[in-house]
Amino acid sequence: MTRFDDEVAVTAEIAHGNSHPERLAAVSTLECPDDGVNTAGESSWATRFDVGLARISTAKGAKPVRALGGFFAMALDTFVLIPRRPFAWREFLLQCWFVARVSLLPTMLLAIPLDVLLIFTFNILIMDFGAADYSGTGAAWGTVTQVGPVVTVLVVSGAGATAMCADLGARTIREELDALRVMGVNPIQALVVPRVLAATVVATLLSSVVILVGLIGCFVFSVYVQHVVPGSFVASLTTITHAADLVVSWIKAAVFGLSAGLIACYKGISVGGGPAGVGIAVNETVVFTFVALFAINIVATAVGVKVTI
Amino acid sequence: MTAAAPSKQYPRLRSAVGGSFNSLTVIGTQAEFYGKTLVSIKYAFVHYRTEMVRLIAQMSLSTGALALIGGTVAVVGFLTLSVGSLVGIQGYNQFSSFGTEALTGFASAYFVTRLLAPVIAGIALAATIGAGATAQLGAMRINEEIDALEVIGIRSIAYLASNRVVAGVIVVIPLYCVAMLTAYFSARFTTTYVYGQSTGVYDHYFHTFLNPTDLIWSFFQAIVMAVVIMMVHTYYGFSASGGPAGVGEAVGRSVRTSLIAAVFVVLFLSLAIYGQSGNFHYAG
Repeated sequence: MTRFDDEVAVTAEIAHGNSHPERLAAVSTLECPDDGVNTAGESSWATRFDVGLARISTAKGAKPVRALGGFFAMALDTFVLIPRRPFAWREFLLQCWFVARVSLLPTMLLAIPLDVLLIFTFNILIMDFGAADYSGTGAAWGTVTQVGPVVTVLVVSGAGATAMCADLGARTIREELDALRVMGVNPIQALVVPRVLAATVVATLLSSVVILVGLIGCFVFSVYVQHVVPGSFVASLTTITHAADLVVSWIKAAVFGLSAGLIACYKGISVGGGPAGVGIAVNETVVFTFVALFAINIVATAVGVKVTI
Repeated sequence: MTAAAPSKQYPRLRSAVGGSFNSLTVIGTQAEFYGKTLVSIKYAFVHYRTEMVRLIAQMSLSTGALALIGGTVAVVGFLTLSVGSLVGIQGYNQFSSFGTEALTGFASAYFVTRLLAPVIAGIALAATIGAGATAQLGAMRINEEIDALEVIGIRSIAYLASNRVVAGVIVVIPLYCVAMLTAYFSARFTTTYVYGQSTGVYDHYFHTFLNPTDLIWSFFQAIVMAVVIMMVHTYYGFSASGGPAGVGEAVGRSVRTSLIAAVFVVLFLSLAIYGQSGNFHYAG
């Protein structure tokens, strides 16, 4: 009997201590001991397995693994729920507008100095070769393949995703998500799906703006500060950068936006511990999106290089 | 403050003018805070050395879930690792389309030192140490702990803000070493092991174009960036308001501002340091 009480305590602890995506799983393990007590203490192998699993998953060392599992579970839920009706159009449009509004100015402010820095370093190099006419080549190549998608997602994750995470985190702390569940509304469908899609769409659109603004910045800096001939700058833009590079860049931006949205929403709905908890969750959102961004960028670049060269 | 105020004349004009005055006030408040932070550094050194040591330990290893994946060092190392291999991938393939893939070592020595390492280190610092500082200070502000510090006679700006600026500068030096070494190493690894260039060719061009003066300036850029980033983040933490969501928003706004500030710092320092001629000689 005492051992059984212990088990119930463990499973109850999971049900309370765990974050929302894992709660469903925890509830299913909670039901098993009830079956066990109905069959007069004859705990089946499956019950013991579940309890053992629960014990392992509540161990302290399992925390990062559990967070990873929770993240993938939520990502899977999101993908499954994207085609499901009714789609939250209103929330989607509001989120798109919100992300675009907070990201547009910082994107430009970040794109211009980064591109100018790139073209400054590059022009020093090619002027030494005596090939300053090809200044536009480096500008187009660097902007389209790297600076465009990377800057976009730095800002989308630094401005949009953090705000999403703060908003969802505050709602989680105020138990608004639980209230939604009680009313029969799936918070993943109502809140997470539109946010993730909004981040993806806006990141793709913003990357075009970044590329355009960056190239204009490069042009102004090269022509007016470093005295490159404007005609040859424009003419050399398309020397090694073609439409395929642009498409790869858009795909990169979309994938980055998607992962930033997913990470922000997961961190938002699994937050705990008051104001400090929200702050920490937002901090982790920034770090994890940046790490994910650079990890994805390596793979995407290696694949993109194979496709375009 | 809830007493009803009589409506004023010209409300539209008033709000338009008041809005621009308010933004000026915000800039002034920020400047005042930064000035106080820099001036208070001497108090931090005199009175709050224990807290400084604690902050250095906390910043370098980080806390919570970030500590589980290895802390700030791991994040910075990972970001620069990926950037180094990007230099390898893009550089090698692009150069080999001209038949000059031997120059990948040069790309690593030149672009990583001057451009990529400072920018990426700035991004990593803002995301890890900076955003963490805003989250901590914002939560302290919301819980009125900062007011409590003032009440018990501790200089809050020196204790919380100046200490963090100093600790950020001290932490950034070893972190930047890690960043540079991982970037160089991963560019070399990608080029020589993955794409199969001979290590002799790579090392020859790498060492020929690795300029020690550039490295020192690169370090200088990183330190200036650390000061700017920590000041921006502590300001947003200090001025957080509006409950749990307010802390989160403050973190987001501070990351955005400090990224832009850091990139502008790198840009202007590069222009100032390398000048228009670039202090670069391909021919030797």
